[in-house]
Amino acid sequence: MGKFDGFRGGRPGGPGGFGGDDDFDLEQMEKETEEMLKMRFLDKKNAEFKATGGGFVSLKVGDEEYNRIQVVRMFPFTDPDHYISIRTSDENSKEIGIIKDLKDVTKETAELLTAQMNLRYFTPIITKIINIKDEYGYAYFDVMTDRGQCRFTINMGGSSVVHLSETRILISDVDENRFEIPDVMKLSAPERKKLDLFL
Amino acid sequence: MKKDLFPKAVLRLLKENGIEEDDIFAASATDMNTECEYADGFVVLTLTQLAIVMSAPDEKEIHSFKGYMTKQKAFDTPEKEWTVKIYPVENTENLKGEPQVACSILTADVDGVTYRLTAFSNLYKREMHKLVRTFDKICMETKANKEFEGKEAGEGREPGKFPGPGRGPWEGGKDGDKEPESKEERIKKLKVYGVEDEKEKDEYCPTCGMMYPDRSRKVCPRCMDRKSIFFRVLGYFKPYRARIAVLFLCYIATAGLNLVWPYLNGTVLYDKVLAKNNEFLAKFGIEDGSYITALLMVVLTMLMARITIIVIGMIQGVFAAKIVTGVVRDMKKSIFGNMGKLSISFFRSRQTGSLMTRVMSDADRITGFFIDGLPTIFISGFTILVSLGFMFSIKWQMTLMVLVVIPFIMLIGLKLRPRIWTQFGHRHRAERAVNSQVNDNLTGARVVKAFGQENRETSRFEKNNLRLRDAEMSIVGTRNLVSGSYSGIFEILNISVWLIGVYLIMVAHEIELGIMITFVGYIGQLQGPINFFSRVFHWWSDSMNSAQRMFEIIDSVPEVREAENPVELENPKGRIELKNVSFGYEVNRPVLKELNLEIKEGSMLGIVGRSGAGKTTLVNLISRMYDPQEGQILIDGKDIKDLSFKSLRRNVAMVSQETYIFMGTVEENIAYANPEASHDDVIRAAKLASAHEFIMRMPDGYDTRIGSSGRELSGGEKQRISIARAILSNPKILILDEATASVDTETERDIQKSISYLIKGRTTISIAHRLSTLKDADYLVVIDNGKITERGTHSELEALKGTYYKLMELQRKALALKGIE
Repeated sequence: MGKFDGFRGGRPGGPGGFGGDDDFDLEQMEKETEEMLKMRFLDKKNAEFKATGGGFVSLKVGDEEYNRIQVVRMFPFTDPDHYISIRTSDENSKEIGIIKDLKDVTKETAELLTAQMNLRYFTPIITKIINIKDEYGYAYFDVMTDRGQCRFTINMGGSSVVHLSETRILISDVDENRFEIPDVMKLSAPERKKLDLFL
Repeated sequence: MKKDLFPKAVLRLLKENGIEEDDIFAASATDMNTECEYADGFVVLTLTQLAIVMSAPDEKEIHSFKGYMTKQKAFDTPEKEWTVKIYPVENTENLKGEPQVACSILTADVDGVTYRLTAFSNLYKREMHKLVRTFDKICMETKANKEFEGKEAGEGREPGKFPGPGRGPWEGGKDGDKEPESKEERIKKLKVYGVEDEKEKDEYCPTCGMMYPDRSRKVCPRCMDRKSIFFRVLGYFKPYRARIAVLFLCYIATAGLNLVWPYLNGTVLYDKVLAKNNEFLAKFGIEDGSYITALLMVVLTMLMARITIIVIGMIQGVFAAKIVTGVVRDMKKSIFGNMGKLSISFFRSRQTGSLMTRVMSDADRITGFFIDGLPTIFISGFTILVSLGFMFSIKWQMTLMVLVVIPFIMLIGLKLRPRIWTQFGHRHRAERAVNSQVNDNLTGARVVKAFGQENRETSRFEKNNLRLRDAEMSIVGTRNLVSGSYSGIFEILNISVWLIGVYLIMVAHEIELGIMITFVGYIGQLQGPINFFSRVFHWWSDSMNSAQRMFEIIDSVPEVREAENPVELENPKGRIELKNVSFGYEVNRPVLKELNLEIKEGSMLGIVGRSGAGKTTLVNLISRMYDPQEGQILIDGKDIKDLSFKSLRRNVAMVSQETYIFMGTVEENIAYANPEASHDDVIRAAKLASAHEFIMRMPDGYDTRIGSSGRELSGGEKQRISIARAILSNPKILILDEATASVDTETERDIQKSISYLIKGRTTISIAHRLSTLKDADYLVVIDNGKITERGTHSELEALKGTYYKLMELQRKALALKGIE
């Protein structure tokens, strides 16, 4: 079953909506479904990305032009530089295309897109654990990160501390701010001891 | 944002750019810039200007988040330099906080171009949302000509039947009598800067300055006095005072007899009786020479002492058991009782598993400590003191030797015990992993088999299992070490004491054998209490943690609360109104946006929309599972927040997609809301719900046990029982959320008949994907993305050729293709 957002104005550049006729076109709908299922790969040959004045990125691909696009990782943890989904930035956020590998686009474009993603996936990396105190169901963290010293609180129990791999940890505080420890083994033994409760 | 948080430098900067503090309508601090750095800043909104004030990132600054915010963040560091960017409100549109993965970006369209104004961490979600909402409202007032989202122009409605949306007078003209507010007055009301927000009051603990991690509980976990938890738990023991007193007497008696034992066993036996000490015997009225009698008497006394200890032990056991079970039961009742009062949002944010652990095992843990640990602290302390006292009076030099050894023993405890506790933690987590995998695989056995992944699951299990084994082994290892060291030290002590003792007896002739035995006996008495003290502190803090977790539930204040003096709904008519209702499960992700809707009494409203559009949320709000963040919901003109829960629930019934069949008979399930319903009523309700037939086909009929431990029902059968339940409760307002989703077409037709009968005289709201179920609806609305995009009767919507029309056509065509009509 197709989705119906073509009813308030046509899709940009797509097949002309529902035209002016009253009759319902099943064939048309099937065509659109097929379009949706296609994976369209973008690279430096068919897509042109530019920085906008407002701090975003615009895209020109074929006949379509988008003032602002969203850059979303399909595999943010396991494969951050491959399979980047380029999406419209409105509320419905439809996928425009996929960049299979960041190397498929120009270096400038890759930097542009990476800067956008850095803000989207903003996660300070913990470089040193100063202290962790656990009291009454909450754990108070005092850590040094690559963006400065941070102090936050997490709920004990539950999914506040997630093991992305054996040694990679993602910590979410009570407000769902995120902090990451890419490799627990790189911390010193006393630091690991402090973390012990969560390992 | 609080008024005094603006640094003077910032106020000055704003002034230079034409913004006086009094002009500020809303403001929020921010802690990030768009370059992914932590940097302090402010977003300031006046009627005409939007200002973004930023400072450069400071490496040395400590960034604190919720739970750590001290009362006043030190924004006012003199070295900070601030820059400002101003955007005129006139040229700005669509100000919004766009949530990212772990932060948000503030964006706006200025002169048609979308700008990234600043970024902020989740700490400022709430404040930014307030600012954005204020901006929206200001725009609505000052840019009156433009069409805004949320304010709908009336389209295609039948004049007179249903009044239009927006702020017009409602049918009946209730508000039409009031003097309309002037624009200036309305604008003035929009100011939130400097206005105290009820919800934000007391966000910080007055003692330590930490923010309350859980706003609904104004208790600071840090400052929470362990003493207060202690006394609260003690309160649960109050009803059992008498039995506790008996228990204490038992403890004291046992301790006393234990302390006397070495004396009997040593001095009396050896030095007095066996040594044939006539003086001593004379004290007890035994004639000189009757040594056998004396011996018999001693033996008898020792025997009596032993028997008494055993008997007291039995009494102790019985009383302790009675007290423990009683207290645990009372605690569990408190927890369970309060859990029931809590709002749905409490359960959304917590895993059921951990909640259940709290209810089940924490109460046991706490009680165990109070019954066992607490008295033992006193008894052990007493025992140690008395033993040492006796030892001192016997031979103070040897006692000193003992005193020297005790610190060593405690040291072992202090060093090794914490290790065991961390190892317990490892084992607990390993156990959890194993258990959840077993649970996973058993519930998902079909999928495992279907995809042939048994071997993979087994090797995964193997890994977790090994982890558990290793954790267990390390505990065993450490335990052995601890007990080995303890015993070792005590043995050495004993042997040393004996060596000295032998010397003193045989060589120096200073003391007698009996005294020696007594002395050693008292050393033995010390072992237990010292061992106990090395682990009691952890036991104490563990049970206090359990108690705190328990009280967290008992103290939780439900988010949706009944008004202080709730109003009853008399003679309910069932008219529902929604005025400007906005709601989101999370602060800046609204699900419903400024909804306006009126449902006339006795009418049926059909709600259509895609999955996730907000339909179920809407009905959740009407049944007051959640409170809207903005706007009002009225039933018969009364705000539902003012109604008592009892009258609200009695008059609003819902049949939802998730059916809850609890453990009980069919009849009990149907009569859930009305336990006093007669058989007649139950049968009638079942018939109306087309459930009677399948119930009769079950061997035990209406007495068949269903639910988790009873007979399995199909989705459709469960659905029909839910409908029967709703029918029986005879509500004025009936909500059907995809009530016929799980049934076949024939059954659906039967249920449709029932529903057609049901809706007479009731206000019904029906959510459906299958538009055929809405054919009885008087009025339909289409909800898309949290807003009502189309409204009207069936024919009006068809004429509109909008979403509704397309959906109808699609369903019609799809059925036609299959040759079904």
